[in-house]
Amino acid sequence: MPTIIALDVSLSMLRPVPGRNDHTYQSLALKGIQLLLDNLTAAGKLEHLALVLYTTVCELKVDFTRDYDQIRQAIKKIEPVDKACLMTMLKTSVSLMATWGTQNLLQLVVFTDCGAGFGSTSIAGFLEAYAGKEAEPEYAWLKTLATYNLNFICLGVHCDSYFTRGLTLHQQLLDAASLKGQLFMTKPAKSAEPGDATSAGSHKSELGRTALFELIERLCESSYKSTEVTLKCGRYFRMEGQVLLWPPPVPYEQAALYGGDPTIRHIDQRIDVCGFLALSDIGSPATLSRHWVLAKVEREKPTRRSGGLAAVAKPPKLTLDTNNPHYELEKLEQDIRDFYMKDTKDAEESGDDADVTVVLKHSSTPQAEQQKDNLCVLLHGALKLENMAALVLLGEKWYGFMYAYTDVKKKSNFMLNILPPGSNVIPWLGDLEFLGFPEDLAPGETASFPVRAERRSYSQSSVVWIRQASLQSDVQKVLRHAKKMPDKTQHFYKELNRIRRAALALGFVELLEALALLLEKETAQLTLNGVTTECTLQLQHAATELRKTSNRDIKSTIVPLQKASAADATAAAAPAQGGYLY
Amino acid sequence: MFERNQKTIFVLDHTRYFSISSEQYISMDYLKGKPVQETPASGSSSMVVGTQLSKSLWTCAVESSIEYCRIVWDLFPGKKHVRFIVSDTAAHIVNTWSPSTQNMSHVSNAMMMVSVPSRSIPQSSDYSVIHGLRAAIEALAEPTDEQLLATQVGCKQIPNKGRVICITSARDNTSMKSLEDIFNTVLLQQNALVAPPSKKGLQIDHCHLVILNIVPLGVESLVTNRNLLEISPLLDVEIHTVNAPDISDKLLHLIMGHYDLASTTVTNIPMKEEQNANSSANYDVEILHERAAHTRVCGPDFTLTTSIKPGTTYETVTLKWCTPRGCGSSDLQPCVGQYNVTPVDVTSRPSSCLINFLLNGRSVLLEVPRKTGTKTTSHMLSARGGEIFVHSLSIARSAMDEAPSISDGPGGRVSDYRIPELGQLFKMSRMVPLKTKPKGKCSQGEHLWRRLPRYFPRTTNVTILFNLQRQLNWLPHFLHLIVKEDMDKQDEVRCQQQIHELYKSASRGDMLPFNTTNNARPKVGKTKDQYRLFYRELEQLIQLNAQTPHHKNLLESLQSLRAAYGDVSSKLDPGASHLRSYTESPLSPERLEPTSSASNSSSSILKASKRRMSSSGQRSLLDMISIAERSQSNKRLDFSGRLCTPLGQTAKLYPDFGNKEKDILTPGVVTSNLKDESIRS
Repeated sequence: MPTIIALDVSLSMLRPVPGRNDHTYQSLALKGIQLLLDNLTAAGKLEHLALVLYTTVCELKVDFTRDYDQIRQAIKKIEPVDKACLMTMLKTSVSLMATWGTQNLLQLVVFTDCGAGFGSTSIAGFLEAYAGKEAEPEYAWLKTLATYNLNFICLGVHCDSYFTRGLTLHQQLLDAASLKGQLFMTKPAKSAEPGDATSAGSHKSELGRTALFELIERLCESSYKSTEVTLKCGRYFRMEGQVLLWPPPVPYEQAALYGGDPTIRHIDQRIDVCGFLALSDIGSPATLSRHWVLAKVEREKPTRRSGGLAAVAKPPKLTLDTNNPHYELEKLEQDIRDFYMKDTKDAEESGDDADVTVVLKHSSTPQAEQQKDNLCVLLHGALKLENMAALVLLGEKWYGFMYAYTDVKKKSNFMLNILPPGSNVIPWLGDLEFLGFPEDLAPGETASFPVRAERRSYSQSSVVWIRQASLQSDVQKVLRHAKKMPDKTQHFYKELNRIRRAALALGFVELLEALALLLEKETAQLTLNGVTTECTLQLQHAATELRKTSNRDIKSTIVPLQKASAADATAAAAPAQGGYLY
Repeated sequence: MFERNQKTIFVLDHTRYFSISSEQYISMDYLKGKPVQETPASGSSSMVVGTQLSKSLWTCAVESSIEYCRIVWDLFPGKKHVRFIVSDTAAHIVNTWSPSTQNMSHVSNAMMMVSVPSRSIPQSSDYSVIHGLRAAIEALAEPTDEQLLATQVGCKQIPNKGRVICITSARDNTSMKSLEDIFNTVLLQQNALVAPPSKKGLQIDHCHLVILNIVPLGVESLVTNRNLLEISPLLDVEIHTVNAPDISDKLLHLIMGHYDLASTTVTNIPMKEEQNANSSANYDVEILHERAAHTRVCGPDFTLTTSIKPGTTYETVTLKWCTPRGCGSSDLQPCVGQYNVTPVDVTSRPSSCLINFLLNGRSVLLEVPRKTGTKTTSHMLSARGGEIFVHSLSIARSAMDEAPSISDGPGGRVSDYRIPELGQLFKMSRMVPLKTKPKGKCSQGEHLWRRLPRYFPRTTNVTILFNLQRQLNWLPHFLHLIVKEDMDKQDEVRCQQQIHELYKSASRGDMLPFNTTNNARPKVGKTKDQYRLFYRELEQLIQLNAQTPHHKNLLESLQSLRAAYGDVSSKLDPGASHLRSYTESPLSPERLEPTSSASNSSSSILKASKRRMSSSGQRSLLDMISIAERSQSNKRLDFSGRLCTPLGQTAKLYPDFGNKEKDILTPGVVTSNLKDESIRS
């Protein structure tokens, strides 16, 4: 989910937060950006982030990167400029995002005090100009923007009318341009007693570090959460596990089959592996989206209060819960593991139990996570080894496949491709519900991929004579075979019948006569050149047959003149025929 | 789902006028190869006739309409339907909406019987295209298979739109107007029929009538062209006058709009010349496909460059052929859409070269030149199952670029995954296409579970059994027998034998032949651990696979073996309740009460075994054997030692008795004794 972090650097951001002399809006915003970066770092640094500063102009400070330190460095030197212009920033964002195409979910996180802007560049000014001109090309960028996910971190206090007015305008903007957006703001302070109006400025305002922290938490929860599902590959409990899908799959809007409202579909909480296919059989089918399948790891959230407490509370050794249904198996695994470990230790002649516990103590650190066996890595390895993919069921009649994907830098990952819903989405695999195992076949039956489609026009010898050249080349082909008879007698008649049938289908009887004439002419020439009688006899025979109206029937086929005896017969008959003519 | 283009009906005028020549002459002169003078003089008069021929208007109409449906059926197999109706004195139905008649061979066979209209028939008002138009409206009211399906699932309002393409020839605008009027009236009449009570067919929501008024080459028509015009809310009509030879071009232009198609010209295809196999020339091939194949690829900043080929008025996108690197289909490409394609000129040599190349299983990447000079592959052509597809590839930057490798993630540093074994299992669970849904009510996931083992340790360092498979040559077969869903008596006997053998080697104190440690000989206590873990794992394996009474028997003998070996921990933990469900059946012996083993429940396995070792000297070997024998004879199954002995001979009990030191054999006496008592009590 590539994200632009947009920071409002207008002068108004330099105001101190009411009741909090140690904070300006800008310092809070910077704190907020750091918190966001912390959160995303903890989540694995997967997101591409860019930093944009905006006032009347919009400046790209850091281009999209996974190296968050660049952003941390950039926000250290921020200088306020002038007044805020939200629209300029939004428009610039659209062009900045362009490289990401339409396949990615794009996000914007705007840190602002919700200034309404001034004059023609203000939000109000824009709304006025925009009304009634939605379809005009100068506003086309808003259509693109509408596919993004906009998050506004609204810094302000609710007793500040400047802020509340700005909020309203921001919301109006989202509604008017039908943008997907969310305004994150603090809850209004509870202690707003009616008689206590004068103290509004004096008491500690609702906006502070804690409140900001909550805003960022809410933002991450709603916009940066990986999808967590259970992956199940068979019955054994170790072949089942929690995995994260990143980027999170977008809900699919499925049009109603026979009219009516579309339904929004989400993938199931449990993904079942249905079976395995060779990657070469799958090919490159159209997919809705691609996702990494990542092992779920219990990470410590970077809490503000994350002192030593949490770390100490962690059990030093992997404890097994006796109420766990798989306790017996887990215990066995641990015992065997210990057994092997002692084995090696014995070999090293260092009889001490300390090593074992030391290793286990680190189980919460990233290094130890790498040492702990994981279902994703195992499946990835086996699929990569065999060049196969696992077909998975994502929902009712909704499939995907998982495979090991190696990128150009030879880095390999476990990947899920989500197919469009439906069981008939890959023509060459057939109905995915009809896939089974060789044991399911009836005795003597065989099955293999690809599932063959009916023959298309290009895979059968179609006759299309729309262009003259194709008709001419077909006729030429017959004549070529004619010259090579008797070797090519079969080919000659095959081609002849092909042309004849096509001509009959098109009602192109003129061609039959023309072809008969051509054959006769050929006969005459060949006789002059003293070519075998066999050839001339066949040509004469073919010409006669072409002219017969009885052969204009769908079922009839012109067959070669039977050789020896038949040839004699016609030879005998020919003079008789000639006799008729003369 | 029921768009306007799902139903198309061609109405072909089969009146006498269509027998006349299109006046476009095709020369056959070039065929002779030799000058005319050399041929016998007698033939020269007929020669002129014979080497020049022209298609009739009918032939032009038929070939172009068949070409139209060739494209439709190639691009939308089974989805879009085209029907033909031939009209002379009556309407002749060429095919129906049924899939069996929606193909080229059916249509051309039927057309063979229709043939060109006869020139000898008198001009009469009976001969008219009106019959065909009436029939076309009736055909529109007939439901397709998809529409029938929709009614069956209870859909009330089935959208029913269609298009009628009428190839005829009208004298002037007035007669064209009357054609329109009649069509509109019949349409209304038809919809009236559909209304209750008669309920004949489907209501027609809208019809698009395309009239192609054709004339021979060089003839002026009095009918004026007219763009789409709404005649009534139900009917839009457009009229095109075309010279007969140009009708195919006209329909090609029309089909682009009718089905929202786009054209791609694959350029720079190197092809070997027939005459000179060493050199190759570059050719272009134009293909058609859904427009989405282009639009899906393009982001807002990106447009494919188009051009217009001479002689056409539609745009084509030029993409450059990339020489395929490897053989076979390309790696999995990030594909956002796949669409059927068909060549515009299916019979031309470049087209068939490209087609054959693809049908032979190779795929071609197509690249688009970008402004910056860098090139991007935006599409791929490949054939699968005899169908050629264009794949639209994702060309935008992906959030998944520059991925961290999985080996850097959780579990990435573990080196002893049982990957080859799992790969083997995957290969054995390769799916194949079946004719029907696989039997059984279970879901596809559950269908697979049957095939995958119920016990599969992920890494080699948590299993004893699977690591010894290579060293113990009986083990693989033994494991195979154990996981059999339909284990029979014979299998059980074999397994019992193996378990017995194992017991013997344990008694002898044989080391399990691990090949891992570099000649480090574990101590004696180690040997015990080995067997203890081996038994435990085996027990888990059988327990997870317990399907038959035979499994249950095996489980019991193994448990008594474990007991005899001084490892009874299984009865102490929650797993025991699991176990009971298997052992509690009318045939099985009395269940062991957990209390029976409560005496040594407090100590861990290790401690217990230590203690037992120290106290081992108190019991004699004979005691132990007799106890073991008694417990065995209590079971339904014969003593395994007897089972391995040939019939008629006396089974030798504990052949290794006395061979080894006592301290190896003795542990477990206490427990087996306890167990024995509990059974008797």
